[in-house]
Amino acid sequence: MRPATHHQDLRLPSKVVRVLAETLSASIMGVEGLPVRVEVDVAFGLPALTIVGLAGSQVQEARERVRSALRNSGFEVPARRITINLSPADLPKDGTGYDLPIAVGILAASGQLREVERLRDTALVGELGLDGAVRPVPGTMALAAASFAAGIPSLIVSGGAMGEAATVAGLRVHGAASLGDAVAHLAGVRDLAVAEPFLVRSDATARRGPDLAEVAGQALARRGLEIALAGHHNLALCGPPGIGKTLLLRCAADLAPPLEDDEAIEVSRIYSVAGLLDRRSPLLRARPFRAPHHTISTQALVGGGPRVRPGEASLAHRGILLLDETLQFRSDALDALREPLEGGSVTIARVDGALTMPARFTLLAAFNPCPCGWRGSRQRACICEDATARRYLARLSGPLRDRIDLWVTMAQPASVTAGRSDGVEPSEAVAARIRRAWRRQLRRQGMANADLPPGVLDAAHGFSAAADGILAQRGRRFRMSPRRMHRASRVARTIADLAGEDEVGREHIDEALSYRGAVDA
Amino acid sequence: MIGVGARGAVGQAEVPAGTSERRFEHGGWTGIDLATLDREAEAPHWIAISLVPGVGPVGFARLLRRFGNARNAWAAGPALLETLPRVPEDAAPALARLRREGAGRVASRVAAATRRSGGQILTALDADYPAALSAADPRPPVLYLAGDPASMARPCVAIVGTRRASGYGRSCAAEIAEELARAGVTIVSGLAIGIDAQAHLAAVEAGGLSVAVLPSPLDRIYPPRHRELAARLVATGGALISELAPGAAPGKPDFARRNRIIAALARGVVVVEAPDRSGALLTAAAAIDYGREVFAVPGPIDAIGSRGCNRLIADHQATIVTSAAALLHRIGAQPGSQPVSVTSLSDAEAMVLHRLLQRPASIEELIGQTDMSTGPLAGTLTLLEARGLVESYGGATFHPTLAARRIGRPVGLDR
Repeated sequence: MRPATHHQDLRLPSKVVRVLAETLSASIMGVEGLPVRVEVDVAFGLPALTIVGLAGSQVQEARERVRSALRNSGFEVPARRITINLSPADLPKDGTGYDLPIAVGILAASGQLREVERLRDTALVGELGLDGAVRPVPGTMALAAASFAAGIPSLIVSGGAMGEAATVAGLRVHGAASLGDAVAHLAGVRDLAVAEPFLVRSDATARRGPDLAEVAGQALARRGLEIALAGHHNLALCGPPGIGKTLLLRCAADLAPPLEDDEAIEVSRIYSVAGLLDRRSPLLRARPFRAPHHTISTQALVGGGPRVRPGEASLAHRGILLLDETLQFRSDALDALREPLEGGSVTIARVDGALTMPARFTLLAAFNPCPCGWRGSRQRACICEDATARRYLARLSGPLRDRIDLWVTMAQPASVTAGRSDGVEPSEAVAARIRRAWRRQLRRQGMANADLPPGVLDAAHGFSAAADGILAQRGRRFRMSPRRMHRASRVARTIADLAGEDEVGREHIDEALSYRGAVDA
Repeated sequence: MIGVGARGAVGQAEVPAGTSERRFEHGGWTGIDLATLDREAEAPHWIAISLVPGVGPVGFARLLRRFGNARNAWAAGPALLETLPRVPEDAAPALARLRREGAGRVASRVAAATRRSGGQILTALDADYPAALSAADPRPPVLYLAGDPASMARPCVAIVGTRRASGYGRSCAAEIAEELARAGVTIVSGLAIGIDAQAHLAAVEAGGLSVAVLPSPLDRIYPPRHRELAARLVATGGALISELAPGAAPGKPDFARRNRIIAALARGVVVVEAPDRSGALLTAAAAIDYGREVFAVPGPIDAIGSRGCNRLIADHQATIVTSAAALLHRIGAQPGSQPVSVTSLSDAEAMVLHRLLQRPASIEELIGQTDMSTGPLAGTLTLLEARGLVESYGGATFHPTLAARRIGRPVGLDR
């Protein structure tokens, strides 16, 4: 062994100026990106490749991918002691997007990539194939946004993820097919193509659910759904089986107005993290419509898990969360919805701190009045014990109940004519009304009526002192809690918006109160 | 058998040993002259004996007949148990415990517990003991009462029915209770969920009196969710009565005994809505037993919840109720005057109310009958509800209230 000569050997052939290199990348925390610095140190010692900085198993496996990719791309893996640190080192990291920055870092640290100017203002995100191919990773949109927000003007991603990354306005996005291409670009030898700035297009979305015209009767429930979707109010339908609750609520997908531009980016980022984005059209236009089955776990509903992934509540952000057979859901799952229903976000506690993910959705609930479903029906006897039926409805806890703005009790039509479906409005007509009401809200206050914070709905928003007086009087008469009255005022505002009225009138308040739900007796 | 011999000695020769329990019960209090009993000396023993498990109205009446008075029965010690129709296992130890404590101390302890729950003790010796209960032979020896006993001195009518009340049932209960309460009739019921609660509520809201007979002690209102309603009955001049002593160990609610007291207290029993096997039908049976008139509100023949009522009518066991006013007339009460604030209604409101007066309907059905769209129609119904003219009783169907029926004609909606 001749260490001295050895030292010479390393320096001479590659003319290494620095043995330490840095590359930029980003990590996902919940649905937010976080800039990460990849530091690579090539030092003397037994040949080894060590990754530190709370790197998860997927990152650890990068060692094998990077080794092969480097070799198969015509580079050398220095037979030295290579240490890679992902900074900030105290945040857990996972995913395969570090392959590319680690490989480039090794090349820079070992002097195989000598031109490092471009490395300073370019972030790298991509998984490497053993042949050196660069592949897309989930969450590219959030990663791109995070690195741009951290002041890094350029980003190299896989060619397939270019569209997604290009939705971040102002960011220069390059698509690399292989490690070699990326290195050539960084070295200034051969520039990579720049992605076209992504233009937000309002393309017509395909139909996703049944049409309202297929729903027989149930005028009050239809109207409740219209109001719920127009002002983002939570709706509950209660009625016997087979009455059309599910069919009606499934129409919601096509009734909700498309996402606004900023909403589209916000929502698409969540889907990007969840790996649910269609790379060919990376920006979601249709308002999310999520209808998880009632056997869903709490974690899948609100998010979480060892690698935190967005749950259905976050996937329904800015859209609709339909809980069909609501009372069949696990009670801890239902309870977990309290937080997003109140604050519009989900907080997941982890050993290393709490993560917050957006989850502001419109809740559509549908359930039977008792386990057998026939309580209150005239035609068929309910076979449930009283206590059983009470316990069943009690699964919807008080706090959850309080956050439902619209209650509709559905009954079997007493006569055949009442159930006829001719002459009922098709989805298109209702959707147009909802769209107009939504526009009015955006123009007036920039948000949905249901999201108006307390104290904001005043005369300037068309809710006069007289309207306040009527609401207070009715509230006393119907023994409503201040919270319920507060929510009713928002519903009344939406009803006025649907009617195209600037001022909320007595008739709007009265209609809003007709969905206040039964005081159980 | 000492018991049989002694029974004969008290002068029950007409009831030979071995006669059915049912006929013996009807012997009840006959032959017992309460006026000869010293209230002051007797009361503590009445209370103490009534706490012995197995001592019900029947057993107590037997004790009185055998021993002449409660003091003697108490003095007889364990022997008093031999007189009871049925001796539960825990009767002997409980009696021993009570006797160790002493009748006086037991009585004052129970009296204190009763006072704490806002009530008083009434024995059949007390002047305030409801006179109507003497019909329930044998009557309960000791009652626990909160509120005004005078509310039961007025004519009383019981309104009972299923806990799973429909909108129709609730509407009928409310309308009948309101009409009767305004006429000065005290509404008696069992504080249960459904028809019972609706009847109590409508009576006090109309400014009338209402008495709830509890299946539980005064300090444990059953069902718990009606605690507030119970307090309201007392606060508005009505009363709560129970056969069970407060402060005792929690037991099961005794619905059968409650139902018999309800039937005895009332001049008539109205069964508003009852399915085939309903506690309300037991109340009706007891009322027939006591010679009270039974009324039943008919329901649609396809309504499961009304089958019991319809059968009562079909079997000629109950008088059919065709309207609240007809019921009032039948009972012999005069309709009360009531302040009807004739509110001005818009054309649309008047039209909707007119439709509902013809037949209660859901929004769905109203849409077919009017040319209004869903939203304005829903708003109109809320307005009518706020004005007390319409009530939905938690269901999808809207029913006109008594107030709406009153103004129905004067306003002249027939257009």
